[in-house]
Amino acid sequence: MKRRIAVAAAVAATLLASAGCGSGGGSNSGSSNPLDGKGKTLKVYLMVDAQSSWKEVVDAASAKFTQDTGAQVTVEYQQWANHLTKLDATLAGNDVPDVIELGNTEASKYVFNGAFADLTGKLSTFDNSGSWLTGLSAPCQSDGKTYCVPYYAGARVLIYRTDLFQQANIKPPTSYDELVAAATKLQQAHASDPKFSAFYMPGKYWYAAMAWVYGAGGQIAKQDGGKWVGTLEQPAAEQGLQKWADLAKQFSKGDPTKDENDQDAVYGQGESAMLYGNGWEVGAVQSQHKDPNDPNSAMVDTKVKDKVAAIPLPGFTAGQGMPTFLGGSILGVAAKSSKKDLAAEWVKDFTSTTSQDALLAKGVLPNATTLLDQAAAVKGSEATALAAKNSWFVPNAPKWADVEKGNVLQQMLVDIVTGKKSVDEAAKVADAAIASTLNG
Amino acid sequence: MDVLESPPEARPAVVTGGPRRRRRGSGRLTPYLLSLPTLVVLAGLLAFPLVRMTMLSFQRLTLRDLFTGAAPQWAGFANYTTVLSDGFFWTVVLRTIVVAAICVAVSVLAGLLIALLMHRVSGWVRLAMMVAMMLVWALPQLVATQVFTWLVDTDWGVLNWMLDKLPGVDFSNHSWFVDPVQGWGVIIALVVWGAVPFLAISLYAGLSQVPKELVEAATVDGAGAWQTLRRIKLPILSPLIVVVTTLSVIWDMGLFTQVYIARASKPELDYYSLAVYAYQEAFARSNYSGGSAIAILTVLLVLGVMAFYVRQMFRIGEAD
Amino acid sequence: MVRRRSATLAWNAIGLAFALVMVFPVYWMLATAFKPANEVQTFTPQLVPLHPTLDNFRSVWHAPNFLVDLENSLIITLTSVAIGVVVGFLGALAIARFRFYGRRAIILVILMVQMIPFTALLIPLYLTLNRVQLTNTLPGVILTYLILVLPYTVWMLRGFIVNVPRELDEAAMVDGCTRLQTFYKVILPLTAPGLVAAAIYGFIQTWNEFIIINTLNGASKWNLMAFLAANQTLRGTTWGPLMAGATLTSLPVVIFFLIIQRNVALGLTAGAVKG
Repeated sequence: MKRRIAVAAAVAATLLASAGCGSGGGSNSGSSNPLDGKGKTLKVYLMVDAQSSWKEVVDAASAKFTQDTGAQVTVEYQQWANHLTKLDATLAGNDVPDVIELGNTEASKYVFNGAFADLTGKLSTFDNSGSWLTGLSAPCQSDGKTYCVPYYAGARVLIYRTDLFQQANIKPPTSYDELVAAATKLQQAHASDPKFSAFYMPGKYWYAAMAWVYGAGGQIAKQDGGKWVGTLEQPAAEQGLQKWADLAKQFSKGDPTKDENDQDAVYGQGESAMLYGNGWEVGAVQSQHKDPNDPNSAMVDTKVKDKVAAIPLPGFTAGQGMPTFLGGSILGVAAKSSKKDLAAEWVKDFTSTTSQDALLAKGVLPNATTLLDQAAAVKGSEATALAAKNSWFVPNAPKWADVEKGNVLQQMLVDIVTGKKSVDEAAKVADAAIASTLNG
Repeated sequence: MDVLESPPEARPAVVTGGPRRRRRGSGRLTPYLLSLPTLVVLAGLLAFPLVRMTMLSFQRLTLRDLFTGAAPQWAGFANYTTVLSDGFFWTVVLRTIVVAAICVAVSVLAGLLIALLMHRVSGWVRLAMMVAMMLVWALPQLVATQVFTWLVDTDWGVLNWMLDKLPGVDFSNHSWFVDPVQGWGVIIALVVWGAVPFLAISLYAGLSQVPKELVEAATVDGAGAWQTLRRIKLPILSPLIVVVTTLSVIWDMGLFTQVYIARASKPELDYYSLAVYAYQEAFARSNYSGGSAIAILTVLLVLGVMAFYVRQMFRIGEAD
Repeated sequence: MVRRRSATLAWNAIGLAFALVMVFPVYWMLATAFKPANEVQTFTPQLVPLHPTLDNFRSVWHAPNFLVDLENSLIITLTSVAIGVVVGFLGALAIARFRFYGRRAIILVILMVQMIPFTALLIPLYLTLNRVQLTNTLPGVILTYLILVLPYTVWMLRGFIVNVPRELDEAAMVDGCTRLQTFYKVILPLTAPGLVAAAIYGFIQTWNEFIIINTLNGASKWNLMAFLAANQTLRGTTWGPLMAGATLTSLPVVIFFLIIQRNVALGLTAGAVKG
């Protein structure tokens, strides 16, 4: 991991030097106290998860911030769908938000392209900055400087039906072979149900498929002599893809053209035995808000209430879990913001240990390794925290977000699962697309 | 483009008859003053962006330029040569043309048949057909697409469930978008479904204006239904058919919303139309210049059809 | 005679079948909107909502930004249509009633403009509006929507104005009316149906637009269409509230359509066939 960052940083250095960018974090024009925010209003873009799941944590941080600085905060909650398109347009303008949340895989594009302010000078003021999870902090770094702050993380686990496992007399799998054996047994036991999936796996679920790739010792792309090269066609990666595709084809009735967006609802119908999902999905499959637009509405139980449990997904090597994608979010201060110091202050409050503790209770993972052990103690987060210790992350390339937005990996997976292309053909096409996108 | 966004049909020249006298001295400036606001709006909001788009297609605008406001580099024809030498572009061109051709042919034909049918049915059935079509017509394109997506959903869709009820047919877990032929079938069905009301109602109104005496005379002369249709109704209807067909071509060549929303904003390569391609290139791959080049090529491609339509309409506008 | 009747019967059957097929998606939208959540996402759909509920409507009504975006929709639509119709009427008057240098060019531009793919114009449009600080504002969108409304309004009204015989104007002027009076007393009343039709088309067009506003503005400055388009959360699309929102959003358009149904058909086709 470290090495890759160093290389990326070197590239970034040349990029940045030539463009002469970097807008100097704490540049404030002469006012005596940069943190005197009376009469000012900070504009914050957070993703919708904060609104639906931990709005009170946001409000508490903002309240503290307002108390300390006198500045007001308005938070605009964004939908994930297409949010980058809008953000690009917004950042091109002058009326930019001061603080922006991004998915950690999306961050490097903005970091490398000068959208965020340099926060290196304030690094020590952020809680736990010495032990941030690399999967979150790596994309924030460029040229040895830090441009954004880890917010929270998520890791994926194997969710399984305890009742079905008991009925079939199977124990939770501890190796990948056991997992396949269990799935085979379950699928046979429910052969009469045309909707039954022993392991529900929608075709575009690339966070899952790539876990298989990294688990088999492969990776998505690497840097070679300053150029990015797609590495999905290498034997290890293809082996992982093949195993993933075998599982999806054999044990899943899921739509090969769907992504994982409605997998909780499908699983909640009670006709799937296993699911690969985020820590919070363990709860989401069991009960949903009666009113999906009202986080305070009552919970309605699904058909699998109290019938599920979670463990880290077993990997190909005995005793080792499948490396999980370390998803999550980061917070950046817009380079064009006129209130960078205030913005950094709010980020500091929102990522403080206090805020992180409050987030832990919501079933997400903290932004620092020092807090992971605490997370493991939170009921329901044990498996997730355990899984997070063995993780992978997307290539730290400035244009990585465009690979995601361009659906390169999803296209490859759909081609494989639907049998339109062989693993090798599909991987080669994807590698070419990755190379042209990342180097373009 | 939505059928709702249709400009009104051609109106033939109204023959006012008699020499037109112009009052002199009432200000030659009047027409300019009257059209000034229109021109200002069009220049500011259209001409300027249009010029910028053309410029963009000859530049290389990077995300960094966008964020920092730096001036983009000139690229000459590089964007165009990249696009034009890419086999995928031509696949998309061909696909767009084929899909548009099918959409137009099916919807115009269906519209005509429905219009004829409406003349055959009882009054209350006609009313039912009218109401059904009005509801469909009035439905916003986005909503219509979301409803169709919901109908054909693999897991929750009512279509699979109904088809699955048919004896000997297994449609549970059927994904309509795995096979692009089926997927495009759904999209074409959606387009046709949305276009038929406009076409059928326009053509129905057109048919109503065919003089009864003509049809009766033909019937007396022993002409069958088919002959009256071919020799009397269709010739009278043909200017209208030409206009609605031309409009349909222009809309269907610009197919975007139905594909983009039906594929959950993440269209697979098999589902790219030219408009989707330009949008994805610009907004998904941050290749604004390449996207602009594709957009301009698309406009050029439809220009022939557009020129035809514009010429037809222009004649009318000139004549009055 | 009997044959005739059985033929009509057969045509009626086909006509009804067609009406049913056409209307089914609309029905399914409504049926979904009135179902409780556990009947919406289920592997065995129910054709009729057995336990109709307003939950979905309540949910979408209270959804973040729904009311704000509803208000935006109304402001944007009404303003841009009002401006579009006034400006367009003047333009239409010019090209319908006057011969002047540049008239042909204007007609040509107005016709061409309707053919331009607006998705392609998004980025330059954004850059242009940004230069005058109008991104993420309602006036910015209202201005942008003028290019959706205007060309087509001009064209439509032109058709209505030329249908007012010139002799009427001239007679009025002979009677001593000024140009302005002629306009008020002759042209305006006679083109009123055209104005209504143009306004309604403009309304529908701006009400239904979502791609431009989704890119130019943030969620609190969206219209209802953009709100609907974004109704896919991280946890999947919530179809019940989405269909309820779709119903509510379509309602004004449908009502307008049904009220002016006759005018729509007439406005679109009158004169296209020489009787």
